[in-house]
Amino acid sequence: MAGRDLLLFVAVTVISSSLMAPMARGNSDGDALYVLRRSLSDPDNVLQSWDQNLVNPCTWFHVTCNQDSQVTRVDLGNSNLSGHLVPELGKLEHLQYLELYKNNIQGKIPAELGNLKNLKSLDLYNNNISGTIPPSLGNLKSLVFLRLNDNRLTGPIPRTLTGISSLKVFDVSNNNLCGPIPITGSFEHIPLDK
Amino acid sequence: MGSLHLYHHLMLLLSILGAVLAENLGNISSDSYWLLRIKSEFVDPFQVLDNWSTETSFCVWNGVTCSDDQNHILSLNLSSCELKGSISADFLHLTFLEALDLSKNSLTGSIHPDIGMLQNLRELLLFSNSLVGTIPSDIGYLKKLQVLRIGDNLLTGQVEPTIGNLTELKVLGLSYCQLNGSIPKEIGNLKNLQFLDLQMNSLSGLIPKEIGSCIELQNFAASNNGLEGKIPGSFGNLESLQILNLANNSLSGSIPVEFSQVLNLKYLNLHGNRLEGKIPSELNQLVQLEKLDLSKNNLSGPINLFNTQLKSLEALVLSENFLTGSLPANLCIRNSNMSQLFLADNNLSGKFPVDLLNCSSLEQLDLSDNNFDGALPPNLHKLESLKDLLLNNNSFSGTLPPDIGNMSRLETLFLFDNMITGGIPAEIGKLQRLSVLYLYDNQMSGSIPNELTNCSSLTEIDFFGNQFSGAIPPTIGKLENLVLLQLRQNDLSGPIPSSLGYCRKLLRLVLADNKFSGPLPPTFRFLSDLFLITLYNNSFEGPLPEVLFLLKNLSIVNFSHNKFSGSISPLLGSNSLTVLDLTNNSFSGNIPLRLAMSKNLKRLRLAQNLLSGHVPSEFGQLMVLNLLDLSFNNLTGELAPEISGMEKLSHLLLNNNQFSGSIPTWLGSIHELGELDLSSNNFNGTVPAELGNCSKLLKLSLHTNRLSGTIPPQIGNLNSLNVLNLQKNNLSGTIPQTLQQCKKLYELRLSVNGLTGTIPPEIGTLTELQVILDLSFNQLSGEIPPSLGNLEKLERLNLSFNQLEGKVPPSLGKLSSLHRLNLSSNRLKGRLPPTFSGFPLSSFQDNGKLCGPPLASCSESTRHERKWLSESSVARIIVAIVFTSTLICLGLLYIMLKMWWKWRKVSVACSETGKSEPKKVEEWVYGEEMKSDEYWNVNTMALLPSQDKQMSNSACIFHLKLSTESTKNPVV
Repeated sequence: MAGRDLLLFVAVTVISSSLMAPMARGNSDGDALYVLRRSLSDPDNVLQSWDQNLVNPCTWFHVTCNQDSQVTRVDLGNSNLSGHLVPELGKLEHLQYLELYKNNIQGKIPAELGNLKNLKSLDLYNNNISGTIPPSLGNLKSLVFLRLNDNRLTGPIPRTLTGISSLKVFDVSNNNLCGPIPITGSFEHIPLDK
Repeated sequence: MGSLHLYHHLMLLLSILGAVLAENLGNISSDSYWLLRIKSEFVDPFQVLDNWSTETSFCVWNGVTCSDDQNHILSLNLSSCELKGSISADFLHLTFLEALDLSKNSLTGSIHPDIGMLQNLRELLLFSNSLVGTIPSDIGYLKKLQVLRIGDNLLTGQVEPTIGNLTELKVLGLSYCQLNGSIPKEIGNLKNLQFLDLQMNSLSGLIPKEIGSCIELQNFAASNNGLEGKIPGSFGNLESLQILNLANNSLSGSIPVEFSQVLNLKYLNLHGNRLEGKIPSELNQLVQLEKLDLSKNNLSGPINLFNTQLKSLEALVLSENFLTGSLPANLCIRNSNMSQLFLADNNLSGKFPVDLLNCSSLEQLDLSDNNFDGALPPNLHKLESLKDLLLNNNSFSGTLPPDIGNMSRLETLFLFDNMITGGIPAEIGKLQRLSVLYLYDNQMSGSIPNELTNCSSLTEIDFFGNQFSGAIPPTIGKLENLVLLQLRQNDLSGPIPSSLGYCRKLLRLVLADNKFSGPLPPTFRFLSDLFLITLYNNSFEGPLPEVLFLLKNLSIVNFSHNKFSGSISPLLGSNSLTVLDLTNNSFSGNIPLRLAMSKNLKRLRLAQNLLSGHVPSEFGQLMVLNLLDLSFNNLTGELAPEISGMEKLSHLLLNNNQFSGSIPTWLGSIHELGELDLSSNNFNGTVPAELGNCSKLLKLSLHTNRLSGTIPPQIGNLNSLNVLNLQKNNLSGTIPQTLQQCKKLYELRLSVNGLTGTIPPEIGTLTELQVILDLSFNQLSGEIPPSLGNLEKLERLNLSFNQLEGKVPPSLGKLSSLHRLNLSSNRLKGRLPPTFSGFPLSSFQDNGKLCGPPLASCSESTRHERKWLSESSVARIIVAIVFTSTLICLGLLYIMLKMWWKWRKVSVACSETGKSEPKKVEEWVYGEEMKSDEYWNVNTMALLPSQDKQMSNSACIFHLKLSTESTKNPVV
């Protein structure tokens, strides 16, 4: 017990806080997913294996990689997750399947998801997602399946989506959307009913 | 109050009287008597109180100071005497006591509630003990008290308002306790208070504005509490205040401009609050201010502080705010006292502030995590005192100026996460004090200069994520103090210089993701402290030097994706391995038993090597092993029962070996198991029902083995399962209905087995099925259940080569996600759902009587309708049809055949898009697999404009088939 009670008015400012050992780096897929993990509340511990210190996220459960250790699938449907999506998801350059359906995810769809050039399936249905459908999703040139149904989305269906020539399944039912339903481009062949 | 006071006096009198009567000892009114009683309650391991005895006058006892008449004790000082025990209640009898100092001992117990009886007390010092309980409110009766220091104890409860009665008080120290409640506003009555220390408690509520009445206050610290609300502007009254520390509270609002009136302020710390708004420029009036810390708040706006006015400033800490704009020109001027300038983690922008270069006194400069850009100034050396330069996480560009070599005091250089280009100047070798050099995540290139190895103080080098090329300097071994060498993700090549082994203090060596080649030098045996070594993704080769066995502290080893050969034994000298990854090399021989010595091994990956022999039964001792990947080797034998000790396994990958015997039932007791891949081995026997206990299993792959018997219904207990692959075995019996409980399945493959019975309609409830449902090459019979039409997400469906009969349920037409379908080689009949028209013929061929697009329309296919014509006319028509269609279609046939061959070639070259299973080739008939680029553009159902064209082609083929049939059987 050194005399700590008095005359210790001054907290010494040290630089050491910034001199901490650098974190694991060079793992942009893993880093992006880890930001998602931190943004989600996970009562069932389905993200327990998401260890940021691993070289890549390919042995994380619910994550699938290709042979070059790039993330191609994220399967977190029906996992009792809540919280928000994060813009960092847009960095998963090789992602093909983003399956986050049937959770309690809130907040908006990050516009950055439009950067996912290889995305084939974006399944966010049955969540609590609000805000508008970002027009940037029109940049998803590989997208085949877009299921956003059963959320609290508002605003119009962005016209940019008509430019996704590969789009085959489009479901935005049970939201609070308004405005015209596109009928041109890829929407020419999408039936109005399910 | 007065009457209460009187009452206490009375009580004191009574208690003394009581004691007098009860004790009936010699001079009981003497202080010596009470002191001896006090002594008896102390534990005194160092006999400090040895001379406290009746043999001498108490006035000569240690720590005691007497009154002039030698009758009364005036002061007792037993500070730092390592006393234990408690503070006796008999102190209350020493009524003449003016000063009591029991600080810095290990006293326990509480402060007596009647402490107020010591009416003459001027100084009470009990700090740094282990006292518990509350601060007695009677302390307020000590009217003469000037110094009260009772902090650094385990005191709880509130600061009583009675403290405000101590109007003589000059020093009040209550820090480092567990006090709660708020600061009483009565504190404002303490007009003589000079020092007030409330740090490190759990105080909450507002800072009372009455604090402004303590006009003598010089030092006030209330940091590390839970104080809330605004900082009262009344601080402006405190003209004597020199030190104010309110760090780490929850204070909000703006910084009061009234601070500018506190002209004697030398130290102001508001770090770690929720203050917002701008930094008031009025603070510039604080000419005495030496240290200003406003970091970790929500402050915004530009920095308006000028060294021209704040002439005494030595440290300015504004990190972790939302400050914007560029730095003011005279933030730090020539010949100032400024030595620390911390502006990290704001939104500051602009070029490197060249005016800062005048700040020759600066020792630490932190501009990290801002938006600064542009080149670094060429004359950085003007910062001649600088020790730590932190510019990381900005957008600085250009090259590292050679002038850096003239910053002779530099110890830390952080430039990581910028856009620096060019090479490392050779002049860097002049930095004899440089200890930490982080250049990672830039675009630097060129070779690492040999001169760098002259920086003899270097302890940490991190060049990760640049484009450095060439070899590691052969003189690297001169860096005897190096503990971290991180060179990952560059274009470095050549062999590792043997001198690297002389960096004997190395703890972490990271050379992964480069183009290094050659063997590891035997000098590595000197790296006896080495804890982490990662060399993955290089072209290292040759056997490992035997002497690596001397590296007893290795914990994390990753040599994956190289060309190492020979035995892995040299890596096993350490018993502290936690991660060993040797994937994709050419290691051969057996898996050494010694591996099991590393009891803390968590991840073991030896996949894609040439390892042979058995899995050692000693592996059962690896109780914390989390991941075991031995796939793609030549391992043989059965899995010994002892291995079941690996009960923490979450990934077990033994696929693509030659393991034999049955699948062990103990796998069912590994509850953490999430991925089990035993595929492509020689396992026989049945699928153990115990696997149904692995409730966390996500992927179960047992395909390509010799498993027989039925699929156990317990598989249905795996309700987390995503992927189930049992294809290519000898499984028989029916598909268990319980499979419907695996609600999260997105991939289900049961093909190439001997499964019988019908397809359970319950499969249709697996609505998350997405990648594939493959039941092909079995002996399934009966009709296709209409419920399969519920599989809205299903992209591939293969039911081919079974004995399915009846119609294709129209509900299958609802499979809107389906893009590949194979129903061929069954006994199906009737009309295809109209949405199937876009699928190729091969999807349906070798069935009995299917019709409708892409097959022939259902009316044409019934030949009996034409019976009303005469045989001759039929013959004529047929001849005509045969003739014309042969002519037209032969040409087309030629084209089609050519296309078909091309198509087939493409499909052979294609591979699955799933997880890394290099050898997996799916059995689709007629090469329907497409090159992944074309994956989605073929077979689209009703979306492509070219659909009409496709249909006419298909029709033509059908014609052709019909005509050949009729020539064979000219019955009609």
